Amino acid sequence: PTEDLARTCNACHGVNGVSVGPSMPSIGGLPEAHLKNVMLQWKTDERYSATMGRHFKGYTEAELSALATYYSKLPYVPTVQKADDKIMAKGKEATDRCETCHGATGGEPDDAETPKLNGQWAQYLELELMKYRNDAVKMPHKKMRNNAKKLADEDVAAVAEFYAAQPK
Amino acid sequence: AAPSGGKSGSGKARLVVVGGGFGGATAAKYLKMMDAGLDVTLVERNKQFVSCPLSNEVISGHGKYEGLLAGYDGLMKRGVNVVFDDATAVDPASKSVKLKSGTSLKYDFLVLSPGIDFNYAGIEGYSEALANTTHPHAYKAGPQTLALKKQLEGMKDGQTFVITVPPGPFRCPPGPYERASQVANYFKHHGMNKSKVIIADANDSFSKKGLFEQAWKRHYPGMIEWVAGAAGGKVVKFDAKTNTASSDFNDYKGDVVNIIPPHHAGMIAKSTGLTNDKGWCSVDMLTMESTVHKDIYVVGDSTVHGELPVYGAPKSAHMANTQAKVAVGAIIAKINGVPAPEPFFVNTCYSIAETDWGFSVVHIYRAKEGKLVYDTKAGGISPVNMADESALKMQRKLESEYCIGWFKNIMADAFA
Ligand SMILES: Cc1cc2nc3c(=O)[nH]c(=O)nc-3n(C[C@H](O)[C@H](O)[C@H](O)COP(=O)(O)OP(=O)(O)OC[C@H]3O[C@@H](n4cnc5c(N)ncnc54)[C@H](O)[C@@H]3O)c2cc1C
Ligand code: HEC
Ligand code: HEC
Repeated sequence: PTEDLARTCNACHGVNGVSVGPSMPSIGGLPEAHLKNVMLQWKTDERYSATMGRHFKGYTEAELSALATYYSKLPYVPTVQKADDKIMAKGKEATDRCETCHGATGGEPDDAETPKLNGQWAQYLELELMKYRNDAVKMPHKKMRNNAKKLADEDVAAVAEFYAAQPK
Repeated sequence: AAPSGGKSGSGKARLVVVGGGFGGATAAKYLKMMDAGLDVTLVERNKQFVSCPLSNEVISGHGKYEGLLAGYDGLMKRGVNVVFDDATAVDPASKSVKLKSGTSLKYDFLVLSPGIDFNYAGIEGYSEALANTTHPHAYKAGPQTLALKKQLEGMKDGQTFVITVPPGPFRCPPGPYERASQVANYFKHHGMNKSKVIIADANDSFSKKGLFEQAWKRHYPGMIEWVAGAAGGKVVKFDAKTNTASSDFNDYKGDVVNIIPPHHAGMIAKSTGLTNDKGWCSVDMLTMESTVHKDIYVVGDSTVHGELPVYGAPKSAHMANTQAKVAVGAIIAKINGVPAPEPFFVNTCYSIAETDWGFSVVHIYRAKEGKLVYDTKAGGISPVNMADESALKMQRKLESEYCIGWFKNIMADAFA
C-alpha cells in the first residue's frame, strides 16, 4: 500500500513529509493537484529536476497519484524561520507581484495547483527560484517562470526568506 | 521457545535489534512507530554514533566532526530500550542474544545491522593496530576520521596521498573516489598544486566514474591518478616503515597512505553462521530474512541483497534505511499472521567533489514475481553532460545542497 512506499520518502522529506533539511522541501499537506502535477511531470520528463525524476520513473502513474493524495491529506507543518526586519521588508516589496497567486504570505494560494510557500525551507525556495529563472531547463509553468525571472538577482534570497518566515 | 505466530508469552512480541547504525536505528524506530505495543531492545556498543556519510568532507575541512554525531535519546523517547553493550553471540536455537556484560536477551524476532568488519589479513603488513595508530583507514567514521584529517593537514606541497581500494563489494561504492576528490580539494585550496592523489584500485571500474572523471578534469586537472586493478592497482601488501603499498606489479609510495582494507559482514553475523563463503549474509530478497536462520532479519552493509550480479543493492546508508523499513514491515506482518507487504527499496548516494559540485546515483528496485528487480528505466547517475553550461552548473550546485538536506533528514529518520 501507499504507506509502505511513502515510508521511503522519509529519508529525504522527513516523517509525514516534514523535512528537517533546509535544502529539501516539506511535502506533507501541499495541495493534491500541485503534488500530482509535479510528480507526473517528472515521470514523463516534462519537468526538470536534479534528483527526483530519476526516482519517479520507477513508479506507475497510479502509485504517484496515490502518493499525491496521501501527502495532501497530511497536515501542512510550516517551519517558521526568522529573518531580520530589513530582509522581511525587502522580501515583502519584491513579492508584490506574487500575491495574486500565492497570497500575501505564501500561505493562501489562489488555486489547488499552487503550493504553499509559508514556512517552507528558505534554502529550498531559493533553489527552486533558481530553476524557474534558468531557461535552459524545463519548468513547464510559464507564468511562474516569467514572474521568477522578473525578480532582481539580489531579491531572490530575500523573497525566499520572507516566505520561510511566515507562520501562515 | 516462543509459541507459534511469533507472539511471546505475554502476548507482546520481543524484538531485539543489534547494531544502532543507519540500519539498526531505523529498524528500532520504525518498529515502535508502526506498532507501539512491541517490546523493542536495541543493543549498540557505542553511546555516540558517528556517521560515515559526510565524513570525507570533514577530512578536507568542509564539514564539522560534530555534525556527524548522533545519540540514542530520540529512540529512548520513542520507547526503545537501548542497551549499550556488545552482542557477543546469538543462539538461533534458543532465540537469545548474549551480551558482553553477561546478560542474555530472548527474542521472538532479531534484526541484525552490525555493518562491516575488516579483513586485515587481506593486506599483508597492515593491521588493526596500525589502523588505530599511524595508518587510519577511516572507513568506519570516528577517531580515525580525525586522525586522517590531521595527516592531510600535515602534508606539504609536492607530496603524495595514496588511497588503496579493496575488491568489491565494499561499503559506499563511491566513497574512495569522493575521498580522493576531497583530498585534492584540500590541496587546491591550500596552495599545494604540486601534490597528488593516487588511487590504487583492486577493481577495473567504479561508481559514477564518468561524473568523477569530469569533476577531476575540471577542478583538479592532473592531480588525481586512478590505477585500475588490471593495470596493477590491486594492493596486497603494505610496508609501514617505507609507507609503501604494493600490488603484484607496482609499488605505491606515499607521504600519507590510506589503506582501505577488504571487509565482510559485521563479526556477530559471521559468528552466528549467517555469512556465505564471501563473508556476506544472504537474505530473502523481499523481506530481508536470513536464508540461514528464520526469524533473524539482516539489513545494511552486512547483506548481499539478492542474486544481482550487476545491480546488487549497494552498501549505503540510504539502502540500509530502506531495507530496515522493509524488514520491519515483514516482521509486523508475520506477527499479525498476514502476508508481507510489497517491499520498496530505494537508494540515492550523493557525492560532493568540490564546493557547489555534487552528483548522485539513484537505484529503484521493484519486487516482480517474487524477485527483486532493478528498474533500468528509472534511477541511474546524474547527467554527465548537459546542453548548456549554466544548466550543468546548476545541476551540480543543486545536488551539492541536496546532499546536505538528505543527510539531515536521514539522520533524523534513523535517530530522532
Ligand atoms: C567514507 C564513507 C562515506 C560514506 N558516504 C555515504 C553516503 O554519502 N551515502 C550513503 O548512503 N552511505 C554512505 N556511506 C555508507 C554508510 O556509512 C553505510 O552503508 C551505513 O553505515 C550502513 O549501515 P549499517 O547499519 O549496515 O552499518 P553501520 O551504520 O556501520 O552501523 C553498525 C552499528 O552496529 C554496531 N555494532 C556492530 N556490531 C555490534 C555488536 N556485536 N554489538 C553491538 N553493536 C554492534 C556498530 O557500533 C555500529 O554502530 C559511506 C561510508 C563511508 C566509509
Ligand atoms: C534521495 C532524496 C529523495 C527521496 C528519497 C525523495 N525525494 Fe522528493 N525531492 C527530492 C529533491 C532533491 C527534490 C527537489 C527537486 C529536484 O530533484 O530537483 C524533491 C522534491 C519533491 C517534491 C516537490 C515539492 C514541491 O513543493 O514542489 C515532491 C512532491 C516530492 N519530492 C515527493 C517525493 C515522494 C512522494 C517521495 C517518495 C516516494 C520522494 N519525494 C522521495 C529528494 C528526494
Ligand atoms: C500566475 C500565478 C503565479 C504567480 C504570479 C507567481 N506564482 Fe509562484 N507558483 C505558481 C504555481 C502555479 C506554482 C507551481 C508551478 C509548477 O508546477 O511549477 C508556483 C510555484 C512557486 C514556487 C515553488 C514552490 C515549490 O514548492 O516548489 C516558488 C518558490 C514560487 N512559486 C514563488 C513565487 C514568487 C517569488 C513569485 C513572484 C515573483 C511568484 N511565485 C509568482 C503560481 C504563481
